[in-house]
Amino acid sequence: MNAITSARHLSATATAALLTPFLALLAIAFLLPLGVLLYESLFVPAPTVQHYAKVFDDPVYVRVLWRTLRISAIVTVATLVLAYPLALVMTRSRGAVLALLVACVLLPLWTSVLVRTYAWTVILQRNGIVNQLLQELGWTSGPVRLLYTEGAVALAMAHVLLPFMVLPIWAALRNIPDDYARAAAMLGASPLRIFVEIVWPLSRPGVASGCLMVFLLSMGFFVTPALIGGPQQMMMATLVSQQVRELLNWPFAGALVGCLLVVTLGLVLAFNRTLGLDRFVGSR
Amino acid sequence: MKRRTFIASGVGAAAGATLLGGPVAAQSKEVIIATTAGLMERSLQEHFYRRFEKEQGIRVRSVPIELPDQWARAVAAGRSGGPAPFDIVTATPPDLIQHKDILLPIDCAKQETITKNALPNSCFPNGLMRTGGGMVMLWNGKNFPAGKEPQSWADFFDIAKFPGPRTLPDTGDREWWVPVMALLADGVPADKLFPLDLDRAYRKLDALKPSVAAWWKSGDNSMQILRGGEAVMAMVYSSRAVPLTKNEGFNFTWNQAIRDVGNWAILKNAPNAANALAFLNFFTTTPEEHVPFSAKVSFDSNNAAAANLIPPGERRFRPSWPDNWSKLVVADYEWIAAHRAAMRERWISWLTR
Repeated sequence: MNAITSARHLSATATAALLTPFLALLAIAFLLPLGVLLYESLFVPAPTVQHYAKVFDDPVYVRVLWRTLRISAIVTVATLVLAYPLALVMTRSRGAVLALLVACVLLPLWTSVLVRTYAWTVILQRNGIVNQLLQELGWTSGPVRLLYTEGAVALAMAHVLLPFMVLPIWAALRNIPDDYARAAAMLGASPLRIFVEIVWPLSRPGVASGCLMVFLLSMGFFVTPALIGGPQQMMMATLVSQQVRELLNWPFAGALVGCLLVVTLGLVLAFNRTLGLDRFVGSR
Repeated sequence: MKRRTFIASGVGAAAGATLLGGPVAAQSKEVIIATTAGLMERSLQEHFYRRFEKEQGIRVRSVPIELPDQWARAVAAGRSGGPAPFDIVTATPPDLIQHKDILLPIDCAKQETITKNALPNSCFPNGLMRTGGGMVMLWNGKNFPAGKEPQSWADFFDIAKFPGPRTLPDTGDREWWVPVMALLADGVPADKLFPLDLDRAYRKLDALKPSVAAWWKSGDNSMQILRGGEAVMAMVYSSRAVPLTKNEGFNFTWNQAIRDVGNWAILKNAPNAANALAFLNFFTTTPEEHVPFSAKVSFDSNNAAAANLIPPGERRFRPSWPDNWSKLVVADYEWIAAHRAAMRERWISWLTR
């Protein structure tokens, strides 16, 4: 018992020593810049809420925030719909098929986001293969505008973020013992009932963490919306970068970051309540 | 290796001069020039720095640096009152006004070499034009072949007569390029543009906005958008319009193009101000160097005679060819510098709407 405890629990010194590099990096590379930005948003030039007032004064900024939330939600739902069946097939596959499926999920993850995004611009442009196909099939008479639309942004983002949904769901599904389904089948449950009453509830923590990860990454996504979308598809990250790089307005950029942070944290808490992420993190 | 030998010989020459004493020792024998890295720096070295060193015995120390960093260092030095980090810097026209306090005034009238060799209207109270081009109107020759070509910015707004998606810049100085273009299209004469009537410009642009399929973010991006067929008409850098016209079936006009120039300027506390001025004078000479230099960087440089050395077939592609140069619209940079922040805010809020 004692041996198990000591193997499981580190001494306070060891814990501190092991955590220090990570915490130091977190503090210097994340908390410090974030703190400076938020400080600027509230205290430059003098203690003020004017920068926050400006965010809500001009409908443009609220619209960008709302659009960011909408695209993030669409991307989350789209990746979930694509990823769940794939993860289910992956848990049922063995050998070469499994290796192929894993490669299909992981290989894009190893390719630069920039490359994958440029690939989409080539596919979706007016002279691109999608437009050629549509015209050859006779579905459209001329090239249609696919690039620089919200749909294109959501599509490319869903593709880029898909692995972040597949992997946690796959992990959750793999951890469900086969015995449960077998026992249910023996007791006469239909495959549909097995899915609804056993597989889905037990995989929910994986779904929750996948959704959370994709949603959070979407909220701060920069490269893909900037390249695939136009100014009318601008999302928060681009807006913040524009304020910093082109207008040199750090306090206002800080206010935008503050609003994004509050909205995101609020949504994460609400999400956690409904989908029970803490159970996933806390259990096992 | 070559570069190191070269530096060593330079240092040797300087040391020799010091040992000999006399008036030579009192004066520095070098000049520090800041410019953007890559093609621009390399081409300047090949065509101007080396020749200047050979002819005038002043060593050029070239510092490759991006413009924001260059200004940050120059402004910081200016504030502390210490010696400037460079003698010569690269400046856009609004930069010349915004950073007036740290720039050395240039008495253009007294610079005989510049007066004799430079392009007309290219020497300013604290800067000298280095390279020039324009923001031109470009179109796809397949959509608008000879005889059916658009002539002016007014045609750019005429969707009925010239149908098809457009692309406009969302980078650089677009907060005034695009409104200026809209006012020209609305019939404002080029010499009556300033002060800009932004309300009128944006009213005009509101009508065009649904037809703008893409807003380009860089020169490469504009070419990719046009090649991909995403737009059939554009406002682009002339340095991009020329290769597109020569090789890819596009065409463009200098008519109502907005002049887009890069300048040299000398910092106030420059350690070698006299040498810097000597270089600026030298830069406007040697037309035989300007011709290949311009071909490399796709911008014309500041020498009035260079245009005469260009073969007739090439002339229509050169901004400094007199017929083209006279068509360029010159902005009121004083006004722009004073209203830049407000114009950018308005641009961003209009664009994201």
